Amino acid sequence: MPRSSHCGSPEHSLNRRAFLGATGAASVSLAADMTQLNALASPGVNDALKKTQKRVILLWLAGGASQLETFDPKPGASTGGPFRAIKTDVPGVMISELMPKMAQRMKHTCILRGLDTKNGDHGSAAITMMRGRRNEAAVRYPDLGAVLAREMGRADSKVPDYVTFYTQTEGRSMAPGDAGFLGARYAPMELTNSNYPEFIKRLADISDLDHKERSDLRELLGKQFVAGRSSETLSSQNEAYERVRGIMASEKLFDVTQEPQKVRDRYGPTQFAEQTLIARRLVEAGVPFVRVGRAWWDSHGQNFETHQEMVPELDHVMATLIDDLKDRGMLDDVMIVTLSEFGRTPSINASLGRDHFASAWSSTITGCGIKGGSVYGKTDDKGNKVVAEQVDAGSLFATIYEALGINPEKNYYVGSRPVPLVNPGIQAIKQVLK
Amino acid sequence: MPAPNPDTLKPAKDFSRSVITFGIARKANTDNVFLGCSDFKVYSGDLSAAKFEPKELYTHESYVTGVALAGTTLVSGGYDGKLIWWDTEAGKQIRTTDAHAKWIRKVIASPDGRLIVSIADDMACKVWDAKTGKLVHDLRGHKEKTPNDFPSMLYAVTFSADGNLLATGDKVGHVVVWDVKEGKPLATCEAPVMYTWDKQQRLHSIGGIRSLAFSPDGKQLAVGGMGKVGNIDHLEGKARVEVFDWKTGKQLVEFPGDKFAGLVNKLAWAPDGSWLVGAGGAGEGFLVFFDVAAKKALRQEKVMMHVHDFEMTADAKEIVSVGHNRITIHKLG
Amino acid sequence: MRLRLLFTTALCAFTSITVSAADLPPASKPIPQVIDQYIDAAIAEAGVTPAGQADDATLIRRLTLDLVGRIPTTAEVDEYVKSTDANKRTQLVDRLIASPGFARHQATLFEAMFNPEGNGRGSGAFRQYMVEAVKENKPWDKIFREVVLANESDAKTKGAAEFIRGRLSDADKLTNDVSVSFFGVNVSCAQCHNHPLVHDWTQDHFYGMKMFLARTFDNGGFLGERGYGTIKYKPTKGPERTAKMMFLTGAAIEDPNSKEPTAEEMKKEKEALEKAKAAKTAPPAPKFSARGKLVEVALKDVNADFFAKNIVNRMWHRYFAAGLVNPLDQMHSENQPSHPELLAWLARDVAANGYDLKRLTRGLVLSKAYSRGSKYESSPPDSKLFAVARLKPMTPNQLATSLKIAATDPAAFVGKKPEELEKLLEQAEQAGRGFASLISQPGENFQIGVGEALLFSNGERLTKEFLTDGNGTTLGRAKTMKEPKEVAEFLVKTAYGRAATTDEVNAISGYVEKRKGREAEAYRQVLWALVTSPEFRFSY
Repeated sequence: MPRSSHCGSPEHSLNRRAFLGATGAASVSLAADMTQLNALASPGVNDALKKTQKRVILLWLAGGASQLETFDPKPGASTGGPFRAIKTDVPGVMISELMPKMAQRMKHTCILRGLDTKNGDHGSAAITMMRGRRNEAAVRYPDLGAVLAREMGRADSKVPDYVTFYTQTEGRSMAPGDAGFLGARYAPMELTNSNYPEFIKRLADISDLDHKERSDLRELLGKQFVAGRSSETLSSQNEAYERVRGIMASEKLFDVTQEPQKVRDRYGPTQFAEQTLIARRLVEAGVPFVRVGRAWWDSHGQNFETHQEMVPELDHVMATLIDDLKDRGMLDDVMIVTLSEFGRTPSINASLGRDHFASAWSSTITGCGIKGGSVYGKTDDKGNKVVAEQVDAGSLFATIYEALGINPEKNYYVGSRPVPLVNPGIQAIKQVLK
Repeated sequence: MPAPNPDTLKPAKDFSRSVITFGIARKANTDNVFLGCSDFKVYSGDLSAAKFEPKELYTHESYVTGVALAGTTLVSGGYDGKLIWWDTEAGKQIRTTDAHAKWIRKVIASPDGRLIVSIADDMACKVWDAKTGKLVHDLRGHKEKTPNDFPSMLYAVTFSADGNLLATGDKVGHVVVWDVKEGKPLATCEAPVMYTWDKQQRLHSIGGIRSLAFSPDGKQLAVGGMGKVGNIDHLEGKARVEVFDWKTGKQLVEFPGDKFAGLVNKLAWAPDGSWLVGAGGAGEGFLVFFDVAAKKALRQEKVMMHVHDFEMTADAKEIVSVGHNRITIHKLG
Repeated sequence: MRLRLLFTTALCAFTSITVSAADLPPASKPIPQVIDQYIDAAIAEAGVTPAGQADDATLIRRLTLDLVGRIPTTAEVDEYVKSTDANKRTQLVDRLIASPGFARHQATLFEAMFNPEGNGRGSGAFRQYMVEAVKENKPWDKIFREVVLANESDAKTKGAAEFIRGRLSDADKLTNDVSVSFFGVNVSCAQCHNHPLVHDWTQDHFYGMKMFLARTFDNGGFLGERGYGTIKYKPTKGPERTAKMMFLTGAAIEDPNSKEPTAEEMKKEKEALEKAKAAKTAPPAPKFSARGKLVEVALKDVNADFFAKNIVNRMWHRYFAAGLVNPLDQMHSENQPSHPELLAWLARDVAANGYDLKRLTRGLVLSKAYSRGSKYESSPPDSKLFAVARLKPMTPNQLATSLKIAATDPAAFVGKKPEELEKLLEQAEQAGRGFASLISQPGENFQIGVGEALLFSNGERLTKEFLTDGNGTTLGRAKTMKEPKEVAEFLVKTAYGRAATTDEVNAISGYVEKRKGREAEAYRQVLWALVTSPEFRFSY
């Protein structure tokens, strides 16, 4: 059973204005046209904006990538598998030989090797690792994307503020983007069947002018009704329609062919590579959070073959993304996180597979306020347990929030009940923050 | 002399091992075997000893996936890309060769013991002079990437009985038959069913050709692996064998598997060609015998481990299987 | 023992506020009068002026949406508005409650209540069961009994068993969902309560409830229940404990057979189960049924308070868009109802009247509190006072069915026999189902996302399935009209059930005139603007 130390007793129905606090007000004034590519790099955008507009790309390695074949190799141990560890550009830090490109870029990246998250079940672990805590029966927490959409998105944003790619079908329903108690306003734009959002394009049977004026007419007709009535749902409907035209204008952000061939070649032809490139386009245009789901790492059989196939792709795409962001001067503003629902067992089964393992696994954070080249957490010689600097889902999230300049102790209100971004008492890992 | 009937197969001995054994080589007409293991080590052992206690010979830098015996020279290869040459008489290392840029999957010796062949994920099949260790041929007939832009792998290699032919098989089901002397490809065969690319559900692959064996007359080539897999998280495809007329590339027979799931990691023909035996596994393993001419399975036997390799004696009266934490001996006849 | 005492104390606090029956209005007083007595008193006490009563057109829209899940046809509105019968509201309510649409709509709401997370859990048999249950006005305690006892050998109640069947693999969830649905108590939350005293109570409480439910299992497609089985758990402090069957009030049940069976008994049991499996029948029932005990204890004496108050609170929420206790699953001592006496009286009333939900529904919607307007020009009073009607976002089915009705030529509904009309309306409901599946189910703190706005703005289905202009459609009829003003009046009336204002007529006819020569397109766009605006999206 989930236990938590702060389950209060809400007495009132929810009041959106109360729990949304002053969000809108703070961010509405940023009026740059974020639909323009690379708006942040353009001279018209002031430095303050550049400084405050942090964004996150989450590379979600669904199914559970192996820490031993990526960021916490144990070469020579009976559990180590066949792959060697290689030196990186950070003295003393070794990673799997399957990641030679990242090995040259570890100075930008922090590895957390001490994740102990207790849960080895795909569905519920995915829910936990997307939220930094377990849902309570009474409270559905918003996930990372929804919190960042809420904290870093703008009320009048012309771009979506939470986009998630998950094209493979395995595990997709276990880890949908979910705004929890923040509600549909912060629900993600989910891209599953195509890299192109549904309903973003005007239908052929209406002209652009008519589409716009039809929308104006709608607003006009609604005015009379809205006067004298207040409800959070009512406001949300109006906000949703107000954002339609802006989001339609961001359509081209999803079109990878808009990118120079040179850049596309750099990322490579795989689906994960293309989606990561689109993610880069999106954050560049001001989308606060993009998750690129890459399934399915669940290597119960043939763990080494699976990782031999999939890790080089991760290595290449992640390294390219780091280079690309760096070239664009965005690495201080965009954070790249790699995360799964759990890692994989050190023990190797008869099918040369590794099974679910949540007791000692790894995640990485790159960019923004994170200390590149740092390693936090240590596992034992065989990788069976964390022996120092253990991290749970909560402290991982607190660290992400803190690095983005968001106070992890900040409260949302569900009714009268204060709900902090992370459970009380949980701290960010100061050692990896700049 | 006719080969013993597979019906006579019975388990004889069984040893438990703390490591996974990936490769075995047996000195002809003796009980001496050499083993390549997951603890990076190569061992020698005596199967007839009262207590089977393999002796450590030397160490690679990664999993040892192939061992081959050419006369008195033992050659082993592993995920470290190296071949280590060992004088079994003198008990000392002859040389180490940086043979491949990627992980070596198998090492075999020619029937006459003059050549050593290694294959690796750099998609090269390298033929070496067993005596000098010199590279004789670097055979390139397999693509480095799968059609889906992921790295391919080269898993299987075999000699024909007369030593004139080599066959290599890769992850996507492509087989090349080579003229050993000329170092030239003679023909190709395709076994695409052995490769499962899951492009929607899980977006990666499983399978590949894991074993090859020429019929004693050299006319047919048996190919082993696993049939199409639904859930590629597991080795749940059926153990699969196909037999080709390799000259035309035509598939003659297929044994899609009806009893066991998993990969067929090793194939061998009876000396008289009357049957074909395959072994492999998933969580557990199997030994399966086929009558190729009659296109039927003769005997399908469960083995208590995932079998990675076996050695069958020349008279086919004994099969020593190695694999996950075990070594098992079966007798025939 | 200490824990038990604390627990009981806590519960008493919850119930004691309201118990003194002598202070409550007589049982014979009609429900609407009691509601208005308490609601009005609180409003007066707060010194607030409530919103006036909603006009007839608004009221029939609200009642039709709430009771049968759709907007009224313009003919229904006109007839209601025109009628001078003093009893017209009562007659309307009775007509709607008696109609088949009532059973369908209420069953949909119950299904969403029982399975809030999801579409399509189970076989749809549960919904069918609920439709029949509402149709025959099955008492709520009987529904409770049938859901919890889950007798699959009786075809009539088999659907009810889906509730338990869908949760077989997760006894914790089953425990919590039973507590939430029937008693308004989220035990898993209470388990980690802040209150230093109540904190200890909760684990016993949770596992006590779980003991009633955890013996359930599946035997070859039939639900069975073991006559034994215990749960051990590790409290936050102290040694491991063995759970005791215990209801929320602390009422514990002694289980005479709580010992584990012998190997011999196990063997016998296994044989019996295999036999049942082979015969494709339900496994033999245990002598001592834990689920049976739960039903018994939950409905007994003062324990039934939870059960009665929960259903009253949920039905209140259904018609007033907020509960007397909020959230609905937080009925406990530290979360007092806004109107404790009213809740107590209604709970007593529903229990005394055989848990008759139609009677309760009728009472709720005939109150003046229900029929207040939803507009309040100045800063609105505390929503807990129910001084102003709340907006209710339509459910997916309400919205899709209403769209279909608004897109249908109103003439199609005129002059039909009641059965024919009912059939047309059911067809509208059916036609909307596919589209409804694309719309989010409103829940606590519901917000409409940009996804819905994009779907309505650029989705093909709205145009193709609703905004067509063939014969028998609203847009088809509009095409036959000459004057843009006439069309404007017609479209507003059809979509909103009320007369258009001058401003609306001007805005719409202006919009149409700007598109001379392609009026059909213009009309489609106008109808789109009408049905996507909040006046359509909400029940108000």
